[in-house]
Amino acid sequence: MAEQEFAYFLGCIMNNRYPGIEKATRIMFDKLGVGLKDMEGASCCPAPGVFGSFDRLTWASIAARNITIAEDQGNDIMTECNGCFGSLYETNHLLHEDPEMKDKVNKVLAEAGREFKGEIQVRHFAEILYNDVGLDKLAEAVTKPLNLNVAVHYGCHFLKPSDAIGIDDPIKPTILDELVEITGAKSVDYKDKMMCCGAGGGLRSRDNDVTADFTREKLTNMRDAGVDAIINVCPFCHLQFDVGQVETNNKFGTDFEIPVFHLAQLYGMAMGVSVDDLTVDAHQVCVDSALEKCEENLSTLDEITGGE
Amino acid sequence: MSFLNRLKRALTGEGEPGEKKPKETAKTEEPQVKTEPEKPPVEEKEPETSAEEQVTVEVETIPEEEIPEEKEESTEEKTPATDEPLAPVTSESETTEETEPESPEEKPEKSSEEELSEEIDEPAEEPEEAVEEPKKERSESMTLLNADENKITRADIDPRFKEEVMEAGAESVAICFQCGTCTGACPSGRRTPYRIRQLVRRAVMGLKNDVISDDSIWMCTTCYECQERCPRGIKIVDVVKIVRNYAAQAGYMAPAHKAVGSFVLKTGHGVPINDVTMELRKRVGLDELPPTTHTFPEALEEVQTIIKASGFDKLIGYNWEKGELE
Repeated sequence: MAEQEFAYFLGCIMNNRYPGIEKATRIMFDKLGVGLKDMEGASCCPAPGVFGSFDRLTWASIAARNITIAEDQGNDIMTECNGCFGSLYETNHLLHEDPEMKDKVNKVLAEAGREFKGEIQVRHFAEILYNDVGLDKLAEAVTKPLNLNVAVHYGCHFLKPSDAIGIDDPIKPTILDELVEITGAKSVDYKDKMMCCGAGGGLRSRDNDVTADFTREKLTNMRDAGVDAIINVCPFCHLQFDVGQVETNNKFGTDFEIPVFHLAQLYGMAMGVSVDDLTVDAHQVCVDSALEKCEENLSTLDEITGGE
Repeated sequence: MSFLNRLKRALTGEGEPGEKKPKETAKTEEPQVKTEPEKPPVEEKEPETSAEEQVTVEVETIPEEEIPEEKEESTEEKTPATDEPLAPVTSESETTEETEPESPEEKPEKSSEEELSEEIDEPAEEPEEAVEEPKKERSESMTLLNADENKITRADIDPRFKEEVMEAGAESVAICFQCGTCTGACPSGRRTPYRIRQLVRRAVMGLKNDVISDDSIWMCTTCYECQERCPRGIKIVDVVKIVRNYAAQAGYMAPAHKAVGSFVLKTGHGVPINDVTMELRKRVGLDELPPTTHTFPEALEEVQTIIKASGFDKLIGYNWEKGELE
């Protein structure tokens, strides 16, 4: 594989709450031969629905500052958070399309000694895996197939607004399902699969009851489909399904206990990264049921070969 | 039952029971119908949208009665007149008031309708009340505002607001024709009073204060389901965010949101690191602090410079000396 390197944008929730996602990604990309270069001094993206809702200029300026760090490296950005992807991609797109806004932002950035040039692309982790690494190479890297039934949660800002992003069909996408199934896991269809987790747009911090009601609906539909775990590609959705699952149980008296994994953690498991490195023990919702099922499957794999 | 029947009539295009009805609806509608065509200052530049606007305003109160009647009874006569493609609906509704009473076809139909309505709805003596009451209910439920003193008037309209929203990046909002697909797709609308179609409508009408003071605009998770389905390709989420920008400027920003803003201002992160995560990072062999503004103070200074330059510190009311929100 050709030398490829990305500017690795961390964001907030992954590195400051779920470091196992970051660790798994670094190990995985090392195995895949794709370079990740730290974006030193990067900040919050900042959150699209929150900062974008308060002040568009501040939002675009902080995002553009992050982009300039990657421009200095000469690398495209990789982020594995839908929110970060939303802010950085949208800003990059906006400043390309709207020279007036670009001037405004650059005036602000000049105060900090920076300039947005518009020289790089913003990419999402999952889309890089799918388009650059490719399913074949990923399949080769899987050493421990996972026989899990999982609910794939796309989240909102990975594919939408689709006219600007264009990664996959926003109503009936397949990209994540294909990526998940490379690990041996089965993506189970469930009702209103494309629905939001409820955390975005500043709703989680402002009106958590409404957010929890979204989450309850998603969790109900996932449980009805009989899944072993939830797979996401956004640490904020991840947090909502993890912490928010406990909050939902407390608010509504439900008893959901569906383990949650970021796609990087799922790939980590399938590529033999130690469970310890995935920091899944620090999740609010216990993931043991899913891990045990993986172990069972490994030990009985021979017996069920060809069973389907 | 009477609602169902009325709906059925509307759908089949049959007229409404009672002669009085068209007159009454014309009466109740007069203020709107009069003011808009006479002085259309809100939408001077776009005849198309102003036509749409009139219609939607009317449609909210009396859609079933007038328009279908028109089509059934007088379209054949008027089709030559409604040739202008731009405002066919308006021409219909305008002609309604003038031609209906004169239309010779109506009389026989009405009598049969009256009979029908008597059987189904109410005793014959009270056709007026029977007609009036449900209409009130309906107009109440169709508007955002319940009490009379809260009725929208011209004084509530900020004629620049629509332009401001458009200039801020949502030009496409001008072509909204209020189909409601957005609200149908909205997961927040299923559980909160948030109605994205109404938000767009009110923004286009220029009801700035009405919109920005409405708590429900903060119920959007920016999930884009509305925007993906909009048949006119309107950047609806941009409209929401722009409207929220105006709300924030006017002081309608929740304390929790100011707090998130202050985290970024203080640390560069909306979700800053904590002790538990620092331990976890160390355990898995990552640097205790990520290589972000957490590790590079000069980078944090850049972020703070940007925040001062854009005025965000003032927007959230951050006191630099105290190091906290006011």
